[in-house]
Amino acid sequence: MASFRRVLSKRVFNAFVTILLIMLVNFLLFRVMPSDPADMMTPRDPTTPPEVKWRNIEAWGLNDSLYVQLYKYFVGTLTGDWGISFWYEDNVANVLGSAIGWTMLLLGTSSALTFIIGIILGKYAARKRGKPADVAITSFGLFFYGMPIFWFGILLMVLFVSIIPLFPSGQYISAGLHPELTLTSISDILWHMALPCATLTIGSIAGIVLIQRNSLIDVLTEEYIVTAYAKGLTEAQVMKRHATPNARLPVVTTLAMDTAFILGGAFQIEVVFSYKGLGYVTIEAIGRQDYPILQFVFFIGGVAVVIANLIADLVLVKLDPRVTIT
Amino acid sequence: MTFEKKFESGTRRLLAFNPLLADKAGLSMRNIGRTTDLFMATWMGKIGTGILVFFLGIVVFTELFVPYDPGDFTTDKLLDPSLEHPFGTDQVGRDVLTRTLHGTKASLMVGFTAMIISMGLGTIVGLASGYWGGWRDEVIMRVNDVFLSVPWLVLMIVIASIWGAQDLTSVIVVIGVTGWSTTARIVRSQVLSLKARQFIERAKALGAGDWHIIRRHIFPNVVPLIFANAILTIAISILSESTLSFLGLGPQDVETWGRVLEDAYNNNVALAGPFMFIIMPGICIVVVVLGFTFIGYAMDEILNPKLRKR
Repeated sequence: MASFRRVLSKRVFNAFVTILLIMLVNFLLFRVMPSDPADMMTPRDPTTPPEVKWRNIEAWGLNDSLYVQLYKYFVGTLTGDWGISFWYEDNVANVLGSAIGWTMLLLGTSSALTFIIGIILGKYAARKRGKPADVAITSFGLFFYGMPIFWFGILLMVLFVSIIPLFPSGQYISAGLHPELTLTSISDILWHMALPCATLTIGSIAGIVLIQRNSLIDVLTEEYIVTAYAKGLTEAQVMKRHATPNARLPVVTTLAMDTAFILGGAFQIEVVFSYKGLGYVTIEAIGRQDYPILQFVFFIGGVAVVIANLIADLVLVKLDPRVTIT
Repeated sequence: MTFEKKFESGTRRLLAFNPLLADKAGLSMRNIGRTTDLFMATWMGKIGTGILVFFLGIVVFTELFVPYDPGDFTTDKLLDPSLEHPFGTDQVGRDVLTRTLHGTKASLMVGFTAMIISMGLGTIVGLASGYWGGWRDEVIMRVNDVFLSVPWLVLMIVIASIWGAQDLTSVIVVIGVTGWSTTARIVRSQVLSLKARQFIERAKALGAGDWHIIRRHIFPNVVPLIFANAILTIAISILSESTLSFLGLGPQDVETWGRVLEDAYNNNVALAGPFMFIIMPGICIVVVVLGFTFIGYAMDEILNPKLRKR
């Protein structure tokens, strides 16, 4: 167990360093770019009075030396002071609070669906390797993989909103309703989430399906599988006891790595369906040059992925004693 | 992590490369004739190559023959498809088919050039990090982690929106510099396993310098691994361009499929029609990306003999 603790501490340490570096890159990105940070951090609306710029320079501490700014940025970020949105003139945390919740709901639901359906399809394809069912599943996987996910969302919108009007065209809830724990409210939220969630699930399922399939096929060519068959086990037994546990490892890694990809997909989907989550607000922020919001999204996105990977690493060590730290 | 991350950005990870197989990969790279035969024997190789040839043909055809100039504004706005305008017209009356045909060139160009940037960067960083080892390796890998961790789309839109320039070159550079991290990882792990081999030791014993070893012994053994990856990177770069364009951060100086999609979406075509306006450019993207994915996949099947059909 001592070695497990060493692996653990090294992983946690690396994750921590990565997060600090993300903050450093984030800090520098918004300062080394060719434009003046004071101008950049101030709305480019020509009617903005010059006092606003000076007030912002003061508020942002842009008169301080770079080191002092860096120090202040780190302390602020770590203590939950993430800056003031230019557009909303409110704390970034307040602006993004509810948006993050909606994104988590969308992401959580679709990730769970992706994981479950992906594993099932992947296993099935591996068992039918080379047969029509496998070719069909693999091709569909690749097909959706090669599709810009925002475009797939638009296609579903054309189909199920314009041509057959089954679902609403956007928002997370009907006008007039408020998110609360009543049957009407919850079913309305689910109804609004159906299309975005379906898009995200179908669009990102290929990764899991193909990895599950390939790693299972890899395992199935191992000699101990032949041995298992030779000693008279049925296919179901071999799959359950010998093949699946070993094929599980790459799937865990993939799921963690997919976090970044799925998050990007969710951003696009939110824009397509005007689903007012983190992605929607972020894209709005680009148009409004609302940099504190972008800076925070950059930070939180990185942290989310680092944590997902950390968890995956730890699960992996638990699942497979052979995994050691590299 | 875009493919190791969508791949990073997802697709690249589909080909889970196994560095241990690099020797066999090296063999099949040296024997180009046999590799080509094997490649064309796979249905993915055939279809992928067919698709690529088709779209390259479109670029040539467009340059030579296309009837309308994409810049012609007319009063025939947002028409449904007809014989005269097979894909309909856009919000300022331009022919959508013509725009799609003209978009082919820039879209493919983004794919190829962004691929060269990110593969170049990734290979150099991976070679340096793997060959030096030690604290340099640690530093480079931690920086690499940052690029792998920040979601690819967020990284791209933040850099693109801070940079602010929206011409073809900047878009290519943005896509290129955000896509190198997976390649660096793959190259590094391959270099690490090569460094421990005897033939490197032998070369050192014979007095070979670092540069010679890297150039003559390590790099040639890395190429087969990154080859399939490079093809997939083209596909991802094309996807990236269309996504950036859709979000309003694409190149403003040339026609690309992404821009046609952006125009269509911004003019509420998804809800009000004409649907062909938004469907056709998307289909082109899907087919081209699929083509490159097939080629990459077929390559992997050859470079990864364990999966070869027996």
